[in-house]
Amino acid sequence: MDSSAPILQATNLQKRYGATTALDEVSFSLCPGEVCGLLGENGAGKSTLVKILSGIVIPDAGEIILDRQTYRPRDILDAKAAGLSTAFQELSLIPTLSVAVNLFLPKPKVNALRLVSMRSLEEEASAILNQYGITGVSPSALIGDLPLAARQRIEIVRAMLRKPRVLLLDEPTAALSEREWLFGLIDVLIARGTSILYVTHRLDEVRRLCKRCVILRNGKKVLDASTVGMTDEDVFSKMAGRSVVESYPVRESSVNDSAPPVLDVRHLSAARVNEISFAVRRGEVLGVAALEGQGQSALFKALVGLAPLKQGHLAVDGKRVVIRSPRAARAAGLVLVPEERKSEGIFNDLSTAANISIPIINRAASFDFIRGKRERRLVERGAALVDLHSRYLPPNIDALSGGNQQKAILARSLLTEPKCLLLFDPTRGVDVGTKHNIYRVIRSFVREGGAALFYSTELDELVHLCDRCIVIYRGTIVAEVSEKELSPQVLLSLAAGHVSDASQSLIPGNSTNGTSI
Amino acid sequence: MSQGTREKGRPIPSSAFAALLYVIMFVIYLLNSPSAITLAGITDLLNNTIVLALASAGLTLVILTAELDLSSVGVIAVTNVIVATVSTKFPGGAFISLVLVCLVGLLVGLINGWLVTFLGLQSLACTLGTMIVCQGIALLILEAPGGEVAAFIMNRLTDTLFGFMPVAGLILLLVITGWLLFRRTRLGIAIYAVGTDAVAARLTGLNVKRTKWIVFSLAGMAYGLAGYMLGAQTGTGDPRISNSFLLYVFAAVAIGGTSLGGGRGGVIGSVVGAGILTVMQKLLFAVGVAEFYTNIFNGVIMVVAILFGNLSAILSLRQRVITPRYRDRQFVPH
Amino acid sequence: MNDTGTRSLVSFATLKPETLTALLVLLAATLMMLVMKVLNPAFGSVQQIAAILTTSIFLVVASYGQGLVILLGGIDLSIGVVMSIAGMMIAGLTNGSNEALTWALPVTLASCVAIGLLNGLGVAFLKIPPFIMTLAVGTAFFGVALGVTAGSSQRTVAPALQVLMSARIGGIPIPTVLIGCFLVAGSLLQSHTTEGRKLYAIGSSMAAARVVGLPIEALTIAAYGVSGLCAGISGLLLAGYSSSATLDMGDPFLMPTIAAVVIGGACVTGGRGLYFGTFAGAIFLSALSTIITVLSLSQGWRNIIQGGIIIIALIVQSKQWYLLSIVNRRLPGKRSLYGVLPQNSES
Repeated sequence: MDSSAPILQATNLQKRYGATTALDEVSFSLCPGEVCGLLGENGAGKSTLVKILSGIVIPDAGEIILDRQTYRPRDILDAKAAGLSTAFQELSLIPTLSVAVNLFLPKPKVNALRLVSMRSLEEEASAILNQYGITGVSPSALIGDLPLAARQRIEIVRAMLRKPRVLLLDEPTAALSEREWLFGLIDVLIARGTSILYVTHRLDEVRRLCKRCVILRNGKKVLDASTVGMTDEDVFSKMAGRSVVESYPVRESSVNDSAPPVLDVRHLSAARVNEISFAVRRGEVLGVAALEGQGQSALFKALVGLAPLKQGHLAVDGKRVVIRSPRAARAAGLVLVPEERKSEGIFNDLSTAANISIPIINRAASFDFIRGKRERRLVERGAALVDLHSRYLPPNIDALSGGNQQKAILARSLLTEPKCLLLFDPTRGVDVGTKHNIYRVIRSFVREGGAALFYSTELDELVHLCDRCIVIYRGTIVAEVSEKELSPQVLLSLAAGHVSDASQSLIPGNSTNGTSI
Repeated sequence: MSQGTREKGRPIPSSAFAALLYVIMFVIYLLNSPSAITLAGITDLLNNTIVLALASAGLTLVILTAELDLSSVGVIAVTNVIVATVSTKFPGGAFISLVLVCLVGLLVGLINGWLVTFLGLQSLACTLGTMIVCQGIALLILEAPGGEVAAFIMNRLTDTLFGFMPVAGLILLLVITGWLLFRRTRLGIAIYAVGTDAVAARLTGLNVKRTKWIVFSLAGMAYGLAGYMLGAQTGTGDPRISNSFLLYVFAAVAIGGTSLGGGRGGVIGSVVGAGILTVMQKLLFAVGVAEFYTNIFNGVIMVVAILFGNLSAILSLRQRVITPRYRDRQFVPH
Repeated sequence: MNDTGTRSLVSFATLKPETLTALLVLLAATLMMLVMKVLNPAFGSVQQIAAILTTSIFLVVASYGQGLVILLGGIDLSIGVVMSIAGMMIAGLTNGSNEALTWALPVTLASCVAIGLLNGLGVAFLKIPPFIMTLAVGTAFFGVALGVTAGSSQRTVAPALQVLMSARIGGIPIPTVLIGCFLVAGSLLQSHTTEGRKLYAIGSSMAAARVVGLPIEALTIAAYGVSGLCAGISGLLLAGYSSSATLDMGDPFLMPTIAAVVIGGACVTGGRGLYFGTFAGAIFLSALSTIITVLSLSQGWRNIIQGGIIIIALIVQSKQWYLLSIVNRRLPGKRSLYGVLPQNSES
């Protein structure tokens, strides 16, 4: 690490959105050739910081100095011109355009006529793909046709193209099955003097790459120190503000084997899903582990009828059911808590109470007219189930934090009295306190005879919450892990698949407990 | 997606289906009116097509960015009456009115663009408003159909150049060539990016607002030119707006394969679509279909056009011809 | 339990910005008339106000249907044609006498509902964009009407309808009483029934509505059907008022229905808005229309003002949400743009 003057110095960055403070006087610095980790729970302010540095958001207050000059980018191009590039977590790639065009957007090279020549663009792209070690991708392929892992690589390469002084990598390995490729590139960049801000939730990566890390919590910086000698416990407690030991509810198995499985799936095939069979028993939380884009989203959609089934059958409580729409799914007792809360979960123009009551609103009505008191009672019952304070019920659901919104969605699902809850990453973007709440709700739901299919990107959740876990890779189940064998390392290695590229999927030398969170 | 990278090649453009349909329609028309294949016949057909073609070309640009624009008929009404009132009043009136028409169209487009991008208004409702305002202005300029378009415009623009090239055809060729070039400029690529995924486009560094604003402005100019050509065709100015024509403009865009959701399609398809609708109309007229049936026809054709557009889009995505433009030697199929 | 818990959860309508907007619009209408009164003392007699309220009924009724459709995120451009068809049908079927009224009325209304249902089917099942479907259906049925009536216009309407529009109860013109009843009934239906609540949900987020399993197609078709019905009723009343019917009598009302909904504060993309707002917008526009007539402005100016009002209303609305509900900022488009989220953004 170069100990000369910092290349990036941010002082007292402040950003508020209405009543919420996203960043509260955050300052930090980056030295040339240094990789600094940026950690924090969802909602801690990491993404706001990234947006500010990338030029997408203008801070309310604070100053940034990049390469000894005041840095106030008004958009991404300004940032790039100043020497700062970002590889976004929400990929900035256009699916209907080719790899070559995407690599050079927004200003692909033009000839004398101000026209872009696809051929020369693709030649250049090909050279770049080779240079960065991306094989198997043709520069004329459309981004939309590529698997998520390939897209993530292209996003990363794009950010590196202009040889930035500072590179921001936002969750760069979310979809990558083989991370050595990235780590190799990072090593090369550091040697060249590039500074990297590495945003991640994965502690093993932080240990491997970063000598220093910054932890944010609730918009404030709570730690900015060397990673040497830091234990996982230290990190977790800084991030969550409490000890990790008390995180998870004690799990007593409530699995009931005598009854037929609540959900029995046989040979299910749909788009991106190939011959999946599993069963969720009464009283069980069955976990699903998978890297991004392996078909788990397609599976959940098919189970509730949001996507058509090519083949296969479902049985609920032993009885065959055909599910063609979410209405039918609900009638059969299957309810989905969806992936994208903002676009598929909440009705953002309605109040929280209206959001909770909507699927069962008919119960609160006589002759079609909604009875205020009845609705209120229903909603309050739902809110009590998830520990949602009644003061959150009248306002628009838009005003609530992600965690409270998720509680409302969960309340709504529970009120429909489902047999099996299908939960797709329910704790994404949710603060720690609410996460524990959600775990408790799920466990008590299954204890009373329900069942749950639980997909999460956080391996620790799967390990501690689930009775069993299936691992999905490339659209099929590659493993089923029983309670005894459940551990984050096992899940991660299975989820990354053994059959991809030649290199290993586990980081060598990682022997600490509690890898990803 | 779980199958790794597979070279898919380029899809058949959906305008190809439109072109096919056009050929079929033209042949049917030809069977009915053999004179259609003569120079006079072709010139006549092109003259009938040009107004719709220009308007739908402009609309295509806006729709590609995933916005809507209902103001086309309004701008056409205003510019049409301007040509009918100004072109005979001054020497060189033809040219002056051309300039005026472009300016007016540009102005309306700039206003639309500003309202949608900077004030953030929804494009459907907003351009509906500007359309009504434009009609009002047209009525103020000319209360009832009338006025007179300069003979120069009427005669020369509906005629042929050098004895074989219909002027309308030349204009269409210019539009198509212009589009083929425009598609390869940075702005052209930006339009597709913005229409497909505005959020990702912004993260890429593209200026979404500016792109949309430019597109509305260009569309406005196209509508202005359409109004000018309408003056050339009819010889008079008409301030009334035809709902049917608005339907036709959208139908032409839809038949041509441009998706109303943005990000897919192109001007060529819309021009062909305009051709299809014109031939269809002429066919119905030649066959002797009663006047009032045209309204029913217009309504039905619009719905059919959308369905056809959807169908051709589905077909074009399913059948991709493997013609890789560049072979990567290291390409290893998984 | 704390205090806010005791407040009615159902009336998410009452204390929201939408009610405030509606009141402001009514205030604006009143102010506008006062200004006119000042400029032109002959204006504003009790009779004139009564006349304004009477003629507002067409817009009040027709905008209700438009409002429901816009609530879903759609739009209905066939309302003008349906109004004309209703008028022509009732005139043609009753031909100046009350005899046929008992069956002519339901037949006419049923036809209007059928046109609306057709719109709904195209939007819900064929996935045709609403503005195109309704414009196409409107144009097509205009052609049908043209063909059936062979263009001939003037027909006389059953006297009963004419009486309805001109008589009084206790000194108050019947139409004025009717608009009051319609306001109450319409608001109840839109904001206090389960179907209405589901419409708000669908308009707010169709994707979420699908996940929850709401009957999206059925409600869409129903909404367009109701719009057809309202246009039909409005056409009947219009025919009664004018004592005759012509093929283009509904045309001047189409754009004002959209304007009324927008002025009333409803969001054009759906999910928000009260009927009270639309109602206020309708009253405002009727008053404006009368003023324009009194000022003898030409049709050109009428259009300019109408178009201008729609745009101004849209602008005010977009700023209003910004001002009144900073935390509840509504985001246009499919995905949220980085940096525009009002709350804790997620990483």
